[in-house]
Formats: sequence, C-alpha cells, structure tokens
Amino acid sequence: MVLVLALGDLHVPHRAADMPAKFKSMLVPGKIQHIICTGNLCIKEVHDYLKSLCPDLHITRGEYDEDARYPETKTLTIGQFKLGLCHGHQVVPWGDLDSLAMLQRQLDVDILVTGHTHQFKAYKHEGGVVINPGSATGAYSSITYDVNPSFVLMDIDGLRVVVYVYELIDGEVKVDKIDFKKTATMHS
Amino acid sequence: MAEGEKRRRFSNLRSVLWRVDLGILPASPEASVEEHRRAAADSRRRYVTLRRRLLVDPHVPKDESRSSDLVVDNPLSQNPDSSWGRFFKGAELEKTVDQDLSRLYPEDGSYFQTPACQAMLRRILLMWCLQHPEYGYRQGMHELLAPLVYVLQVDIDELSQVRKLHEDCFNDDFDGVPFLDTDMVFSYKPRKDPKWNLGYDDEYNSERSSKINTLDELDSDTKEIILLSDAYGAEGELGIVLSERFMEHDAYSMFDGLMDGGSGMVHMAEFFSPSSVGSSSNLPPVIEASSALYHLLSIVEPTLHNHFIELKVEPQWFALRWLRVLFGREFCLNDLLVVWDKVFACSNNMLLSSDEEYNFRILCSARGAFIAAMAVSMLLHIRSSLLATEIDIFCLQRLLNFPTNIDVQKLIEKATSLQSIAIEANTSFSSFLLKRDSCEYDRVHSNRATSTPPRTPLHPLSESYWEEKWRNVHKDGTTPKESEKGDSFSKQLKKSLTQRLGLSRTESDPSPVKVLSVKNDTRNSVRRCLLNTLSDDLERSNEVAGKIQQDEFPIGSVHREPPMSSAEPSKLKAAGENATVSPLCVAKVNPLKNYVVEPAHENATQRTKCIAESCSSGENSPVFYAASSGNEPENSQGIDSESSSVTSNSCAGDHDKDEILKDESSNSNDDSKTIQDSEAAFSDKSPDQDETSERAVVSNERKPFISKLQWLLKLGRPSVEGNMEKSSGETSDDKQGVDASHSPPSDGNSNNSRGSVKLASGDKKVMGTLKNLGQNMLENIQVIESAFQQDRGQPGPVENFSNNILGGKGQVTAMAALTELRKISNLLSEM
Repeated sequence: MVLVLALGDLHVPHRAADMPAKFKSMLVPGKIQHIICTGNLCIKEVHDYLKSLCPDLHITRGEYDEDARYPETKTLTIGQFKLGLCHGHQVVPWGDLDSLAMLQRQLDVDILVTGHTHQFKAYKHEGGVVINPGSATGAYSSITYDVNPSFVLMDIDGLRVVVYVYELIDGEVKVDKIDFKKTATMHS
Repeated sequence: MAEGEKRRRFSNLRSVLWRVDLGILPASPEASVEEHRRAAADSRRRYVTLRRRLLVDPHVPKDESRSSDLVVDNPLSQNPDSSWGRFFKGAELEKTVDQDLSRLYPEDGSYFQTPACQAMLRRILLMWCLQHPEYGYRQGMHELLAPLVYVLQVDIDELSQVRKLHEDCFNDDFDGVPFLDTDMVFSYKPRKDPKWNLGYDDEYNSERSSKINTLDELDSDTKEIILLSDAYGAEGELGIVLSERFMEHDAYSMFDGLMDGGSGMVHMAEFFSPSSVGSSSNLPPVIEASSALYHLLSIVEPTLHNHFIELKVEPQWFALRWLRVLFGREFCLNDLLVVWDKVFACSNNMLLSSDEEYNFRILCSARGAFIAAMAVSMLLHIRSSLLATEIDIFCLQRLLNFPTNIDVQKLIEKATSLQSIAIEANTSFSSFLLKRDSCEYDRVHSNRATSTPPRTPLHPLSESYWEEKWRNVHKDGTTPKESEKGDSFSKQLKKSLTQRLGLSRTESDPSPVKVLSVKNDTRNSVRRCLLNTLSDDLERSNEVAGKIQQDEFPIGSVHREPPMSSAEPSKLKAAGENATVSPLCVAKVNPLKNYVVEPAHENATQRTKCIAESCSSGENSPVFYAASSGNEPENSQGIDSESSSVTSNSCAGDHDKDEILKDESSNSNDDSKTIQDSEAAFSDKSPDQDETSERAVVSNERKPFISKLQWLLKLGRPSVEGNMEKSSGETSDDKQGVDASHSPPSDGNSNNSRGSVKLASGDKKVMGTLKNLGQNMLENIQVIESAFQQDRGQPGPVENFSNNILGGKGQVTAMAALTELRKISNLLSEM
C-alpha cells in the first residue's frame, strides 16, 4: 500500500506561477510515501514544497533546473517494483516509445517515469510500464501549446500497481485509473 | 440447567459470566444452553458484518461500484466517504492504537505482547472507534479491553483442560455400537477414564443403553462447559460459547457492552468524552463522576474530604485514571478481575424513576454506585497516609501509586457497604455539601464557604479550623459510615460556630485576650485532638470560656467574692452543674484576679483579661497535663462524671461563670454570698489564702483537687465555691512547695464539698457541659499562665499573698493555680 507521487515539468517561475489550486489541495502531507519528480522544477522553492509533502523525494535533472546537483537518471526500488527516473530530454526523439524502452532496458527497471513532453502517457511495453506524468502546472512546452496540468499517483501493492492519473481539464479534476500487474516473467 | 446452590451460574467461567452481566448473553438464570448459544452466535454475526463493513480494503473493488466515480474514490480524494478516505482514517487510528498497545501490560505478559493478540486488540479497538466516531480512540480504552480478552483466553484454556480431561465427550464417534466391549478393540482414542464409554450429549445417545455413561455423570459445571462447546449444538460452531476462533468477536461484544453500558446508566464510553453531553450538570461526565466520588467521601469520611479541600486536591486528578480504566492501573491483573467480577455483577439499570432528581449520573445505577463506593473505599484504605501529608503533590503521589499489597476482598466488602450510601446520596440534597456550580473550583470553595461561614470574618485563622479538625478527628473515631453524618456535622458545626460567635461578641477587650485565647485555643484544640474525647459540649465550653474571658465579670471588682458567690448560687440553681461550675469559676476567678491583676496589669479591664488569660491558660494546662499525666485517668475514673464536671466547673470556673453570668447576672451577688459563706465554713483559711493555696495545689495535687471538686459537688453548690477556692489555694500552695499543710485540709474540704456536689447532680449531660467548661477553664488558665510566664519573677512564699504583692510570687502562684486547673480539666476531659 505504498503511494508514490510522480510529477514534473513545473517550470516555476519561468513558465507557470504555481501548481493549480485544486491539485495543491489534494496533495496533503502524510498520505504519500514517495515522490519522484522528472525534473524542471525549476527553483529551490518548489523543491522545498515537494519536500514538505513527503520527505522521500527523488529528482532528476531537467534542462532548466537551477540546481545542478540533480542526477541525470535515478533508479529506486519500492515494494516489488523497480522504478527508473529520467527527465527525458536526453532521449531523442523526445517521447518516442522505443527509445524510452531502450532506456528502460538500460536502467533495468519495471517502471520508467520520464517527462519533458508535458503530456501524459502511460504505456505497457515489453513487460514494463512507461509513464509520463505530464506537467503538473500545465506549463507550455516546445512541442505543444495546449497542455493540461496533470500528475500521476501510483499505488504499489505487492505485485500490482494501480496508476491514478489526475488531470485538470476545464477546471475540473479528472481521475483515471490504470492497473498493471507484474508477472514473474515480466522483467527480462 | 442445574444451578449452583448459592454461587452464580458460570462462576468458574468468567468470560461467560461477564458476558451475561454485560448483556450479551441472556441474563436469566434459567436460560438454557441453547439460548446462550444463540445469543453468542448473534453477537458474533453482528461483529462480522460490522467488520466487513468497516475494515475496508480500497483495492478490492466493490461489486456495484466498479464504475464508481474515480474522482471520489482516488487515494488523494478529500471526500471522507471514499473508501480511501476511510482507509486513511483507519490507518491513522491504527497508529494511535498501536502506540498504546505496544505499552499494554508489558509486565504481565507475554500474552498481551504477542503479535496475534496485538493484532486482535488492534482490530477490535479500530472497529469500535470507527463504529463510534463521536468518541474516537482515547488512551485507556485498550486497558479496558485487555482484561476482557484475558478472561476469554483463560476460559478457553479451561475449556481445553476440560477437553483433555473428558476427551470422550468431545469426539465424534457415532458408531451406534455399544462401546463397552468394543472400545478396547476399536477405539484409538486415549481415554482417561476407562470406565466411561464415550459418553455423549443427551441428544445423540438417548437411545443408548444405560451402560453408556452420559454427561449427566459429570459435575454440572463441566457438563455445562461441554454443552456450551459442543460443535453440534444450537447454531453449530458459531454457537460454541467458548470458542477460540471467535475470541475476537466475543471480546468485541464484551467491550461494546462495557462501553455502552447496555441500556443502563454507566457508559464507560462517556468517561472518555470531553463534552458535557449526557451529564446532568455542565461538566464532562468524568468530572461529574469524580465529584460524585468526593460527595460520597464527604458523607462517609469528612476528615479526609476536608483535608483534600484544604490541599485543593481536585478529585479528577486521580479519579480520572481510576474511572476511565475501572481501576485497571491500580490493581494487578488478578485482583482486577476480582474487582470487575463485582462491578459487573451489579446491575446497570437506572434505579431512579425518570422524573426524580438526582445529583450525579454515575450514582443512578447500582454498578455506578459500586464503582464510586470502590473508589471511596480505596481512599479510605490509604487514608492515614493521605492525612499525614500536607502537600498536595505528595497526596497525589500517594493516590496515583496505590499500594499493591492489599487485600482486595476487604476493599470490595467495604465498597459494598458503601454502595447503599452512595445510592442514597444521589437523591439526598445535603445543602451543606452539595453545590452544583458549573465551575468545579467554585464548588470546592463554596463547599468550604458554606461549611464555615461565620468562621472567616471573625477568626481569620485557626480557632474554628482546629475545632473542626478536632471534631472531624473525633467523628472519625466514632461512626464514619453514618450517612446523615454530613447533616449532623453541619448542624453541629453551625451550632458551635454560632456559639463561638456569641462568644466573641461578648468580648470586652478583644485584642490581647483574643490573641492569647487564639493561641491557647490552637494549643487546646490540638490537645483535644489528641485526647479525642469531646463533642460539641467542648466547644460550648470553649465558647463559654471565651465568654468568660471576655466578659467583664459582673463580679467586676477584684475582691468581689460575695458577688461572685452570689452569682454562683444563682447559676447553680439555674443550670444544675453548670451553676456549680460557675460559682467555682467565679471563685477561681476571684483569687486569680487578686493575684494576677496587680502584678501584671493595673486596670480592671486588664484584670479581667488576666483572669481570663489565666483561666484559659489554666484550662489549657490541665488539658495538657491530662494528656501527659498518667494519674489523671485514675482520678477521673475514680471520680464520677459529676465530679469531673465539678472539676471542670472549678477549673473552667471562669468560663462557666461567664456563661452563667451572661445568663443570669441578677442573682449572682446573692448566690455568691451564700456560697462564700459555706465556703468559709469549710475553709480554714482566708479566701486569699485559699486562693494561693489553690494555686499551689493546682500544680501538684491534681488528685486531691479533683477529689475536692467532687466533694464540692456532693456537698452541694454552696460548698463548691469554697472548695474551689480552697483547692485552688491549696494547689497554688503546693506548687510553691510551701504550705503543704494547707493544701490537705483545704483539699479535704474541697473534697468534701466536691463529694456533696457530686451527689447532687448526676446528669451526664451536665457533666459533659462541665467537661467543656473545664476545658475552657484550662484554656483560660493557659492564657493566664502564658501571661505570667512573661514576667516570671522569683517565686515567693505563698503566705505573702495579698492583693498587692504579687510580683513574681503572684505569677508563680497563678501559674500553679493554672496548672492545677489544667489538671482538672484534663480529668474532666477524660471523663
């Protein structure tokens, strides 16, 4: 019953002022056990805010991040799952599934979380899961203009992960759920 | 079902007994096993439905809500109805509960700290708190639950014992073949008793031959256990009353029954609630219950109650823990089980009709009354150590660390006896003690105030406090359990206070005398406490003493023996023994006046004062002597109560005189004259001499003096005064070591007179008053003594007594007289 929050590409303060209020009201401390952030926060204040939600915070470096100490990629194990984290601007073409799958194999993870496209995506691919949480603030990107704020909450429970997607569409929070089950042979 | 002759059914199976008491199993003694089983099964079913509803796994998709709104049902949902919301709430509760559970009975147990038990306890508590969100989880609930689980476990162990012992009764062979001969061959089961042939439940072997032993051959208890645990009885396995599998269910039902109180009055749950809903006053229920405790305590043991109030110890400081955990933290587990046996045995039904007014909600049921009574009996158990401490922190320490080596049965018996008082107290309105303010502090202080209204304005300090303290101590020794004690106590207190008020009002020259009298009174009262003999009369005598002190004796002038004696006879006539006292006192006062006045003080008022002082101090000294001397008892015993009153009369002559004088100042002169005459007849000395001799004798010759007084009484009132004077003179003589010769004769005379006077009156009540008067006299004497001690000069010869002498001599003699008076009063008090 581990709740993992995945978000990124906030681009505060350059492209957006803050997360939407509705998102902020949902994110109360104490419920979430881990936060993984794809990058591009960009400033320290956002980092502190995320830290206040949960002490276990993992960030990878996005190209606009002002803190240069974040790593390019990161892997961690939560429950039965191995998670991989990367911002995604390193993987070219941006957002291409096969390239991301390469990265996934390279990192040897079950779940790969990347960003940079500011679009939510979740693929089941070759026994693994590739998730793009989109932009939590809805900041514009160089690829698209029409960006809906979104983030992802993963509920890891044993061999099963339930992915809840929270999107702010037309001012309303929409939630969607995707179930993934890890099979014994999933990871090759 | 067979019943135990006197003991309750299931008394060996605590869990079943408690379940009956808590309302889960049928309470009627004739309820059959079937009914018990059905009730047990019902309670378990209820629990299971509850559990399924409350213990929610958000991962498990609800059948009908597969397409439920994810907006509502996502983990981050703020919606409290969402399954996730409930899940998180449960998780938080669990955390809180775990904090407590990890500290549950660590000393007792390996049992309670096992993961399985902890998980069960956690679930039960969680269930209950989710079911009752208005209470939530409060620390202490786990301690209520733990013994319930424990008794269930104990009973299950007992069951397994029985099972082992009577294995045959539990197994499932239905061969239908008489086993007598085939047992040895075909049976594989080990049997403890080969005589038995696999006895079965009546239902199954009704057609069996009589060879087969049936359950009836077992004792009724074992039989009952077996029937209750029969897997094929009513409701099948669910109905097995003692079942390990359903331990959690049963524990939950018991806990629920305890917390909700069934339909009764005592809800343990409300002790945990901070709100004042459900209490008759504006206070939270536990505060109200604590004050009920204090109320009961004040009825049963006013000393301790006042002690608490003095120290400002609020009841809920310790009662909170006692009540919330039902004494779980005060007794060891086994003792606690005994206590809870009794608590649960009391019914929880409302005892009062619905429109009757009551003081405390907790006392409305027998169970609540027993709980309160138990708390009071615990307080009484450590009463002495509580009274000994003057600091509230230590008091509290003692209360919170209740001694562990106690006889629980005794406490329980005491509590049972107090229980009825508690129930009575609920409906009686003792205006003295009960003030239903919303503020607890106000109530405490107002209690104080109502109990001692006249005190504070006049005597800011110790006088009446000590008196009351003495009175409390005195009452302690007698009958602490009278429920009307409170009322009588208040009455007495008021009476004494009014008397004292009257007393003070008569003070002619308040300050110095008062100071001294206050001082002496404190000393006196302390001694009285030590003596522990007196009643209100004593106070009255004190008051009288005070009055005497303060009154400008109508006698007035120093040498006014005739007036005094006149006063005396009048008083004698008027007030029986008191009259004798007064003349004696008057006589006493006279000599004292003569001696005391000149050296110490010049003016008449001061004389009076001195006399008063001397009287009081003198009175004090006899008290003191009475306490210290061993001779007194002999004297007092030898002396009739009358004589003691006589002595008191003589000693407290001043006081008595005052009182009497107050009452009848008219006849005083005449009476005193006659008395004087008779006195003169007896005495072979001049009054002055008598006085001095009296003084001298006071210190040394208690016995003769007292006997003198006795004689005085016997011989009649007129003689009293003379004897008094004689004796006082004699005592004073003796004190100085001079004129011993004087004393015996005068003593003898006074003895005679005393004896006569003694014969004259036989009224015990009067004796009592005399005693009081004696005490008062002692006080006054002490005052005088203290006054003298200030200017103690060298003791001069006794013969030098004249009204003018008295520098040190006079003082010495006065002191002697005072001491003698003290002795007298001691005797009186002993009597």
